[in-house]
Amino acid sequence: MMNKKLMSLAGIVGGLLLVGAPAFAQDTLTVLCTPQEDWCVAMTAAFEEQTGIDTNYVRLSSGESLARIRAAADNPEFSVWWGGPADAFEAAAEEGLIEIYDSPNTEAIPENYRDEAGYWTGVYVGALGFCSNLDVLAELGVEAPTSWDDLLAPELEGFVAMAHPATSGTAFTAFWTVVTLNADALEAEEAGTGYDEDGAPTQAAVDNAFEYFAALNNNILQYTRSGSAPGSLAGQGEIAVAVIFSHDCTKLQLEGFDGILTTTFPEEGTGYEIGGMAIIANAPEAEAARLWYDWALTAEAQAIGPTVNSLQLPTNPDAPVSELAVDLTSITVVEYNFVAAGASRVAITERFDAEIATAPTE
Amino acid sequence: MQAMRQSQQVKRLQAIFRDPLLAVVLLLMVFFVTITIVLPLVAMVGESLSPEGLPLFERYLSNPVYQTILMNTLVLGTVVGIVGTLVGFLFAFVQVKLRVPFKRAMHIIALIPVISPPFAVATAAIVLFGRSGTISRGIFGVRYDIYGLDGLTLVMSLSFFTIAYLNLRGMMEALDPALDEAATNLGANKWRIFRTVTLPMLLPGIASSFLLLFVEALADLGNPLVMGGNYEVLATRVYVTIIGLYDTTGAAVLSIILLVPSLTVFLVQRYWINRISVVTVTGKPSGTPQTIDHPLVRWGLFGIVIFICGIIVLIYGTIIHGSFVRVPGVRWDFTLEHFDFVLNGIGAQAMRDTTALSALATPIAGLIGMVIAYLVVRKDFLGRNLLDFSTMMGIAVPGTIIGIGYILMFNSPIMIGDFTLIPKLTGGQGAFGGALAIILVYVIRSAPAALRTGTAALSQIDPSIEEASLSLGADNARTFRRITLPLIRPAFLAGLIYAFARSMTTISAIIFLTTPQTKIMTQQILNEVENGRYGNAFAYCVILIIIVMVAISVLYFIVGARTGAERRLEGGL
Repeated sequence: MMNKKLMSLAGIVGGLLLVGAPAFAQDTLTVLCTPQEDWCVAMTAAFEEQTGIDTNYVRLSSGESLARIRAAADNPEFSVWWGGPADAFEAAAEEGLIEIYDSPNTEAIPENYRDEAGYWTGVYVGALGFCSNLDVLAELGVEAPTSWDDLLAPELEGFVAMAHPATSGTAFTAFWTVVTLNADALEAEEAGTGYDEDGAPTQAAVDNAFEYFAALNNNILQYTRSGSAPGSLAGQGEIAVAVIFSHDCTKLQLEGFDGILTTTFPEEGTGYEIGGMAIIANAPEAEAARLWYDWALTAEAQAIGPTVNSLQLPTNPDAPVSELAVDLTSITVVEYNFVAAGASRVAITERFDAEIATAPTE
Repeated sequence: MQAMRQSQQVKRLQAIFRDPLLAVVLLLMVFFVTITIVLPLVAMVGESLSPEGLPLFERYLSNPVYQTILMNTLVLGTVVGIVGTLVGFLFAFVQVKLRVPFKRAMHIIALIPVISPPFAVATAAIVLFGRSGTISRGIFGVRYDIYGLDGLTLVMSLSFFTIAYLNLRGMMEALDPALDEAATNLGANKWRIFRTVTLPMLLPGIASSFLLLFVEALADLGNPLVMGGNYEVLATRVYVTIIGLYDTTGAAVLSIILLVPSLTVFLVQRYWINRISVVTVTGKPSGTPQTIDHPLVRWGLFGIVIFICGIIVLIYGTIIHGSFVRVPGVRWDFTLEHFDFVLNGIGAQAMRDTTALSALATPIAGLIGMVIAYLVVRKDFLGRNLLDFSTMMGIAVPGTIIGIGYILMFNSPIMIGDFTLIPKLTGGQGAFGGALAIILVYVIRSAPAALRTGTAALSQIDPSIEEASLSLGADNARTFRRITLPLIRPAFLAGLIYAFARSMTTISAIIFLTTPQTKIMTQQILNEVENGRYGNAFAYCVILIIIVMVAISVLYFIVGARTGAERRLEGGL
């Protein structure tokens, strides 16, 4: 009796396994996807429909992505990496984790949105901004911030959030933006103190940026893992200001937080990201990865973002631009040195982790 | 003397090997436990003691930042241990000692947190009591800063107090009322009886509840991730070290630091508390417990417990309600889009995978737990205690540590010469897309509970029944199948239910093991919570709770309906 019941249990379990078993067909592709999850879903579904290739993805923040492909470099789990700020791609290229691919479709992309050496090509562009909760701001009696120094206001103690630069490309972009602004300031005082001969910000500029973030730490409620997460903390009214990409704030406004959240930009200059894409070195599904690469550069593929409220600017000039997308010409954008940013990434995130993020606020 | 004892043990071992099946089963169990529990832990200890790891101990332990994190961890464990035990004690006391209405409802409400997915309670608490919380801000008009020790204490105590409640209720019911009566006859009043008779008798139970909760709080990852704020604890630190920096050596070192208090407490709980325990489990109390009728005590305690029940209902109500509104806490208009997202979007695969993997792990965990319980209680062999202890390590060790152990141990195949003993298990290229590693972790996390319930049940069954079966000519396997298993069926069922619920809701142990091919619901819930889509997260939670409840019904159906006596046994577990 017992036996039969166990057998039937085994049967049910077996049946469930068949349903849940992952497919092991030849035509597969595993994408490492860094933007928001619903965009990953829409992209992989569209690609699968078009090519018939069974496409899986894992959504990881860019820091996590970098760590994960580094850890599995001998035997990569992923074949193509799509999205996330380009400095993570620069760091990956430096370490030999991604490989050069000369896609026939690259030509359509403006030169300033792609890597000279051909390691990565931009698939979208977005600007960093401040995403603030209007009610909370009013209650604290502060205006929506329009400069980086506004974030240091004592009224905002515990009411600011950003992600942790070690895991999030968004947060790293914010950090590097402050580095660049400091380098500009030093350079204005005395030529050669802000930038070195190669045009990379000097150590002094980096140190000043650390000083700024140490001061900002007193106002930070929490460092989140994912770059866009602070935006929803602001939406929930848990904090006043989130340092996130403006398109992530717009997405929240479209998904229930309209009239609650507002986007502002620092007047002295803000950073921007080029969302990169690259083929993983020794990719297990190299063929399919190249197909994805070609496809993701087309205007058609770049039109998918707005359908899931992801309003980054497309890099392909033929792709439609949503009127809700940020207009880069209307805001001040810093000269963002992606190569230098990528080269300093590891050192900066480790130092941030040791000196700032774990330090308890006063 | 020593030699004689040894030769006796050898003889007993020979007795086992006379029955080949028994020997094979024993070897299989030893093999399984060694590979799935012992080796990953050894790998982790080895990594931390490596030339790269050793210097990190000093660096971490002398660094004030890490000292603060360690202190935070211990403070949190202590506070949650005290508060959770207190709440559990109150619930148990009201159940056993007071004549008040709604006892059954209170019991059921106290059990709810067991099947609740991680993040659910913390997220609901933020919606209710956060800085813009519906209650804190909406009703009392304060911006309460729930992030940190206070918030964590609230959500963790509510999540874990059930352990203390079941533990203490079982003990209170087992207290012999004759003692109370004797004390009354000697002229003691109720307060004096409580102070000098009841409390001392319950002390081991209180101590062991505190320690169990302490370990749970140390190991918890989900709650500190969501509402830790700047209150960082070791579990989250280990997590960031792996996920953010992929520094397995650093994580292994931090894990060892986390392991020391967890393991110490586990050992104290297991060997010291059990020894000083004065309540006999097998003795049936004579008569019914005396009730306490003083109105102030009776209704005062009743009021407190009802208040706590109210909070629990409110939190779970928020989860259910929140899954049907646009943005919980902000926009309350009705919508089904969250369920659409989960059921028709990415959630569907996570649901299928998680349910299938849990359903596979459940019978394995139940059987392994029962078989090891049988071997440990009924058979005498060298290393018996070691087998029991090693199996218990599956749950005594915080989940993140198990996960790291698996990454270190199974990231490449284990070869003996050219023969692949164990294929690569972790990562997307691992066996069955990494699913096997997840199943194994589910099994080793749940088997200890089945082992404990099995051991408890077996020690109450007279071995002579089995001996009779053996002398009538049945072999060990037949006896186990036809006699032992039916007798311990309630314990087996409880083990299965626990295994399934635990597997479906676990996060810390598998968070490093999910792969592109296997999507796990708890991981998806974390993604949604992190991106602030609480509605989607709540919809996941509601569906997960429904799956667990359906599975429990199915298990009852398959393993068999309970009789009254069995229900009594199971309730005590």
